[in-house]
Amino acid sequence: MTLTRLIAVAAATCFVLLPTQSFATIGSCNEPIVLGTTISETGPFSTLTVHWRKMTEVFAEEINKTGGVEVKACKKKVPIKFVIYDDQSVPSQAVSLYEKMASVDKVDFFVGPDWSAVAGPVPPIAEKHRIPIVAGNVATPSFFERGLKYFWATPAPTVARWSERYFDMLSKMNPKPQTILFVTQDNPVTKAITGVWSKKAEAQGLKIVGEDTFPSDLKDFTSIISKMRAAKPDIVYISSFDGPSVPLIQQMRRLKVHAMDVHHALLNGSVQKQVGNDVEGMTGELPWYPGVKGPYSDMIETVLKRSDLDMFDYIFTLGRLNSYLVMVQAIEKAGAIDREKVKEALFKGTFKSPAGDIVFDDHGQPKTGAFTVQMQNAKPRIVWPPEAASTKVIWPSPSWQ
Amino acid sequence: MSAAHFRQWLLPAVLIAALAALPFLGNAYLVTFTFTILIAYILGQSWDWVSGEMGYVNLGHYCFYGVGAYVFSIALVAHYPALFAMLVAAAITILIAVAVAVPLFRLHGDYFAFATLALLPLAEILAFNLTSITNGGDGIVLPIQSVLKASYLIALGVCVLAFFSTVWINSIRFGYALKSIRNDEEVAEVLGVRILPIKIKVLALSAAFASLAGAIQSWQMSYIDPPTVFGLNVALIPIAMVLLGGSGLRWGPLVGVIVLACIQQWLLVNIQSLQATVYGAIILLIGRFMPGGILRAPWLRNSRWFGALSQEHHEYIVEEKSGNKASTADTLPLPAIQVNRSKPLLECENLRMEFGGNVAVDNVNLKIMEGEIVGLIGPNGSGKTTLFNCISRVFDPTAGRIRLAGKDLSELRRDEIARLGVGRTHQIPRPFNDLTVQENIAIPLMFHDTKLSSQQAFLQAREFVAYAELEHRLTSRADSLSLQEKKALEFARALACKPKLLLVDEVASGLASSEVMRFVEHIRHVRDRYGITVIWVEHIFSALAQVVDRVVVLEQGAVIADGTLNEVVTNERVLESYLGGTVARAH
Amino acid sequence: MTVDVIIQVLIGGVLLGGVYALVAFGLSLIYGIVRILNFAHGTLLAVSGVVASLIYASYHLHPVFIALLLAAATFVFGYLFYMALLHPLGRRNHFESTVGTVLVTVGALLMLSDITAVMAGATQRNIQLDFEAFEIGAIVVSSAQVKILLGITGLMLAIHLLLTRTWFGRALRAVTENRVGALICGVNSTRLKALTFAFGSTTVAIAGVLYAISFPVSPYMGFGLTVKAFTIVVVGGVGNLRGALLAGILLGVAESMTSLLWKPEWAPALSMILMLLILVAKPQGFGKKSA
Repeated sequence: MTLTRLIAVAAATCFVLLPTQSFATIGSCNEPIVLGTTISETGPFSTLTVHWRKMTEVFAEEINKTGGVEVKACKKKVPIKFVIYDDQSVPSQAVSLYEKMASVDKVDFFVGPDWSAVAGPVPPIAEKHRIPIVAGNVATPSFFERGLKYFWATPAPTVARWSERYFDMLSKMNPKPQTILFVTQDNPVTKAITGVWSKKAEAQGLKIVGEDTFPSDLKDFTSIISKMRAAKPDIVYISSFDGPSVPLIQQMRRLKVHAMDVHHALLNGSVQKQVGNDVEGMTGELPWYPGVKGPYSDMIETVLKRSDLDMFDYIFTLGRLNSYLVMVQAIEKAGAIDREKVKEALFKGTFKSPAGDIVFDDHGQPKTGAFTVQMQNAKPRIVWPPEAASTKVIWPSPSWQ
Repeated sequence: MSAAHFRQWLLPAVLIAALAALPFLGNAYLVTFTFTILIAYILGQSWDWVSGEMGYVNLGHYCFYGVGAYVFSIALVAHYPALFAMLVAAAITILIAVAVAVPLFRLHGDYFAFATLALLPLAEILAFNLTSITNGGDGIVLPIQSVLKASYLIALGVCVLAFFSTVWINSIRFGYALKSIRNDEEVAEVLGVRILPIKIKVLALSAAFASLAGAIQSWQMSYIDPPTVFGLNVALIPIAMVLLGGSGLRWGPLVGVIVLACIQQWLLVNIQSLQATVYGAIILLIGRFMPGGILRAPWLRNSRWFGALSQEHHEYIVEEKSGNKASTADTLPLPAIQVNRSKPLLECENLRMEFGGNVAVDNVNLKIMEGEIVGLIGPNGSGKTTLFNCISRVFDPTAGRIRLAGKDLSELRRDEIARLGVGRTHQIPRPFNDLTVQENIAIPLMFHDTKLSSQQAFLQAREFVAYAELEHRLTSRADSLSLQEKKALEFARALACKPKLLLVDEVASGLASSEVMRFVEHIRHVRDRYGITVIWVEHIFSALAQVVDRVVVLEQGAVIADGTLNEVVTNERVLESYLGGTVARAH
Repeated sequence: MTVDVIIQVLIGGVLLGGVYALVAFGLSLIYGIVRILNFAHGTLLAVSGVVASLIYASYHLHPVFIALLLAAATFVFGYLFYMALLHPLGRRNHFESTVGTVLVTVGALLMLSDITAVMAGATQRNIQLDFEAFEIGAIVVSSAQVKILLGITGLMLAIHLLLTRTWFGRALRAVTENRVGALICGVNSTRLKALTFAFGSTTVAIAGVLYAISFPVSPYMGFGLTVKAFTIVVVGGVGNLRGALLAGILLGVAESMTSLLWKPEWAPALSMILMLLILVAKPQGFGKKSA
């Protein structure tokens, strides 16, 4: 019967196309430690992940230069290896791929992914297979309250500490700012930032004179800026990803908005490239920047240079790199390539990173902060805290007067 | 028959059992991947009912998926059990579908496609902004349950249901209603198909399945946010899959989904860069070279291995074998109407049809008795076809009244008028182009007699096809017929409406004289044998002369003569209107 | 809410709408003459914008030159694309030609955005012009805005001249009004369709350059713009230059005013709701009814 033949062919084709054989034994000392991850290399999130695949591979090379990760139970250093797939910014695609890595590629541990949409569905898979997963840039607090025992993340910075140093700086500035206005992109991360930091601003004594939310594809900000000019705030706090804020900044300049400072919570090189000189004087936060010394800072600087990645262009890079650093240190701490031991090592663990220590709470959420930068002469300069600063802050911000 | 029936379904049953066993035997990756195929199939197949079968391309189909996902998630977070939440999701999505169906179906063709395309980003914005319901951009976080097996099995069940729904729909009248709408909505109505309820039903059905797909997938993913469920970057994929496989075929959507999903996964896993380019290139090339879908490609249709998949739906309808062979002229399954020559069948009182300033039908008073054959003549543009259109209600008369067997037609719909007993042909034949000759005739049969199954209708249709001498074209597509064959089909289809009143619009023009004679014989025969009253618009007087009792002449929408052919032909006004003033003056 | 603010918002809205109108116009022509739903339309704008910003960043050519360059390139590309991929589908039956064009344009959409992302990077970029601002009372207008306004006006004028003074334009208008009649008059259908497709692609490429001056572009933003363009085509009437311009401006102004008078997050929804309402009230849009 033709139908039989047909089904036979179809089944055979499908099963041939999908490799079902595994290629690694988990936990062996004689094989590299396999870290599985997906990167959103195509699709809407790909604007944030440029060069990340190269960076990941270079990271492995750098770690392996000295032999790899020190594993006590193996009495030697074991090299690491990444298995990287493109999840195309589609959550269901990521789900399939993580399942593949767990059951077919038989990875030892998971690192990544990033972004709420993708990192929402993926950790339960790690939970199911009991594979520790250290995700990267995941900021949604509710993800940490789902009772997952194998899930950690290294967003840099975390929402709770995002602008901590900036507001610290504000409290020490002269003339002291009195009023603040928030402009927020309609996105969970940016809204979370505004949610937390508007409260803390008020607690610090700043008066909120305006709060506006705008959709991600808004192009004409005239109405928002009109309200801004009417309110005359001392500080304009922009909580938005780079792309949507570009027309906002350009139009703010065009319409001659004045303030003591314009702060952009996600300021990065992409913003600078698109608005050019308009960005001068603005402040932002950076989890870290080459030049600031700390644990692993030299290695990270090398990785960045070799993969042609400027951390100011892609500010989420440190979050991703931190997940790798944490995983590597956790394996060392555990002393074995053993999932349960690594899980214990991660639980409420403290790990080193160039930007400062990463300390996980019992839900897997860390408390990482960021340095305050200011655009001076078209270069981002760390201006706060003074211990890490490369130059002094110019106050009030130049060009916004 | 039972053994063959059993064998036919044995293999699909084995396949389904194998799929059902997969979560217990296979590894999680294979299960997850197959799960995505199941979901894509549910989405694609439900889309095809509205777009492939009914011809209304719904580019916003993914909205139903998203709504289902959200309703389910909200219900699950509110601690309702998952199955209950799925049913609620389906129910609410159906309600929404019914609500938007009425305004949406006022649009046709490409405008319908544009409007539905815009629904998707609109739904995304609503999801972002109605934060009290949807939690806005933060999305909804579902409690974590290990539900891969359960969601997979439920998805499999819904898939099987979707497949069998397709098979079922295409074997009953409902499927033919869809297909007739796809081809020519106006003609479908005039043949007795009631359009609006069918559109609403199919959209509701389609929405229900799509919403279940959304609900089941979000159960498995445990997190949704607006761009994930309403994203434009994924909305076109299920549609492309169905089109690639072959829209409107039984196996088309399934094949398309499997092929594209496997290709995409293979690309993702095996090549590092430009996967979307290769994927897009495949879709583009198939579109360019196999636009009917893979299953309609000639090489596939003729191949031994895969030919069985390419069957169109009508090839699955097996007629019951009947004892007697259908003969030509005498055995049409039409009721023999008892004719009362003194009773009027059709009465037009002061009928008037205006388009803007143009008066097409000008205070026409007409009485057609039962059993008459009346010729309707007049120069081009005199309003003959418009008059027909008023009777079958393609147009709404501006003024005046039409009565059929005493019943006022002004409050009736087109399909009701058809069922009252009005059948018509069109000046330029309008068969259902992508359906076969047999299907074309079977449709009015099915809608006139609701107790007929499609197998029975197919069988009965053969007699009409024989009458029209088109047996050698029984299973040919209507658009492959020659003009004269189309006219014969048109006539036979009008007869299949089992009319009391037959409106024949220029069926003989463009035909050879022997063919014309055949039509004359047919017309005489249907009146003599079955008591059908006929109004015949024709220019060929010799044909009219042989069979008409009476002739009505229209000029610029008004009746200028009404009498026997001889009276009319010598009427001065008629001569003047047809031939110009000189002839009349020459008399 | 002073008059100044309202005027300020109106200016922004009109400019925004003008750019939308340009995007839509090409689509309107293509749909009206060639009867193709071109899903890749917005993606062509995105690609053109990305390429334009790359050229500007590397060679600092004046945007007008970049626009001309891209116009020529997309004209050729559009012509070839139509002749090789879309025209052969016209010979098939209605169902297959519709399905075929959908698949071809969707495939093109995927390919274009992916190739651009891989070759130029997925980051958002724009053409960064230096700005000076002019103040008229309390209203501020930037030089960039003025340039864009000039660009839009210039382009519209050029299109208008093309449509009224050249053979091509007259043929286009004839076909829009009465297809069959135009055919009978000897208007060569194939060449006209290919030229129209090329011309529509050119328009959107130039619109891409103008767009990149004002807003960021990235390879994946195309489809959202296509949807918006379809909206304008429907509201303005198919093939209708003035209609597309008015509809685009109406949309731009409506979005800006919604931001001002109500809430910014609802602004993009408004355009769609408007279109849906118009379509339901007047299912043929505002286009001319075919004879």
